[in-house]
Amino acid sequence: MRIRRPQPHTLAGAYALDALDGPDRARFERHAARCQECTREVSGLREATARLATAAAARPPAALKETLRAETARTRQLPPATRGSHAAGRARPRLGARRLGVRRLALALGGAAAVAAVTVWVTGSLGPPAGQPSSGQEIAAVLTAPDAVKLTAQVRTGGSATIVMSHHDGMLVFAAAGLRRLPAAQHYELWLIGPGRDRPAGRLPTSSHGMAGPVVASGLRSGDRLGLSVETTAGTRRPTTPMLLELTL
Amino acid sequence: MSPPRTPWAGAPPGTDHADLAALLARVAVGDQAAFDAMYDRVAAPVFGTVRSVVRDPGLSEEVTQEVFVEVWRAASRFDASKGSPMAWVATIAHRRAVDRVRSEQRSADRDRRAASSVIAYDDVAETVADNLDRERVRRCLGTLTDLQREAVTLAYYGGYTYRQVAGLLGVPAGTVSTRMRDGLIRLRDCLGAGR
Repeated sequence: MRIRRPQPHTLAGAYALDALDGPDRARFERHAARCQECTREVSGLREATARLATAAAARPPAALKETLRAETARTRQLPPATRGSHAAGRARPRLGARRLGVRRLALALGGAAAVAAVTVWVTGSLGPPAGQPSSGQEIAAVLTAPDAVKLTAQVRTGGSATIVMSHHDGMLVFAAAGLRRLPAAQHYELWLIGPGRDRPAGRLPTSSHGMAGPVVASGLRSGDRLGLSVETTAGTRRPTTPMLLELTL
Repeated sequence: MSPPRTPWAGAPPGTDHADLAALLARVAVGDQAAFDAMYDRVAAPVFGTVRSVVRDPGLSEEVTQEVFVEVWRAASRFDASKGSPMAWVATIAHRRAVDRVRSEQRSADRDRRAASSVIAYDDVAETVADNLDRERVRRCLGTLTDLQREAVTLAYYGGYTYRQVAGLLGVPAGTVSTRMRDGLIRLRDCLGAGR
């Protein structure tokens, strides 16, 4: 005899208790996506389960807090979940004296090619090129941040870099032009060099015409410097060659 | 202007939702001091919940750490119109804990797990002996039918699925799922919930 499946909405309690596994959970979530009443009910029941949590309170080991400080410091935070309304919600304040226009920043990020690239990513008509991890949305977020500032710097082995940075968002966009070409086995790697330790901030994708980036680095902390080195191994945890560029942010 | 408030099960004594929500808002913009303050407020419920489900002390610490990194990462996604900040954090904690034990123990011996769940509930009672909120929760759990209470506590503190609870209690899964729902509704209302 087959086990009869309960109606999805009767599973609201089990769901709120995390007592649904795999397929049951997925099935309820599909149902709840179309059932406002279910979502509301789960929220209400979760207030009750939260009280079960507070009733179970137990002091964690003191060391955990310190461990977490280090963990959060190197963990990038999610932007708010705004869909579509993101740009509007950002209020597009009047361009103040300190505020730079997106187009000017895009230009700053390395000329016409970058403008084209940034423009299409921002408008979303094209995905980022293959191997390019930075999303257009992230780039747009940095470029339109009210506190965006621009820095430029020379790379020791040739070429120049442009950085647009938002301290508030803890993010920066990095792009470079005229970089020395590297053998196939090597790549440029960005680093955030802070009081704690060096954190890899992204591999710089290069194109045929000497443009590199833009890439987005996040999780900036005050006192961080930005570095660029040549690396051979993907995923290396610390720089293995001297910095070709080091910039106080 | 603001959406109607989702009812929640009454603020636990000594906990100010607005305060915690304000801290989460600061955490969302990377405020480490706010994160520390938030941690001080919710670390004990989080750790206690995780430990009751996970059992192993080392693993409990690891999962608790993951929970707080997730809270840090996703703080901007907290939506006060959808529930209290404590419920949001507790949901992350409990979900993370059960997912961890389920993936680790998927092939573990069911009898052993059944035995450990009984211990789990007793231990929980002991752990929270000096917790003011615990008395109220305990009293409200007492207003549930036996089946409702067992279904709710085995699921929450034991980390069992409702099908496993059905197996442990020897009742049909459908019955367990409705008892869980009825039990939580009663618990919510008893805790001063209301709407």
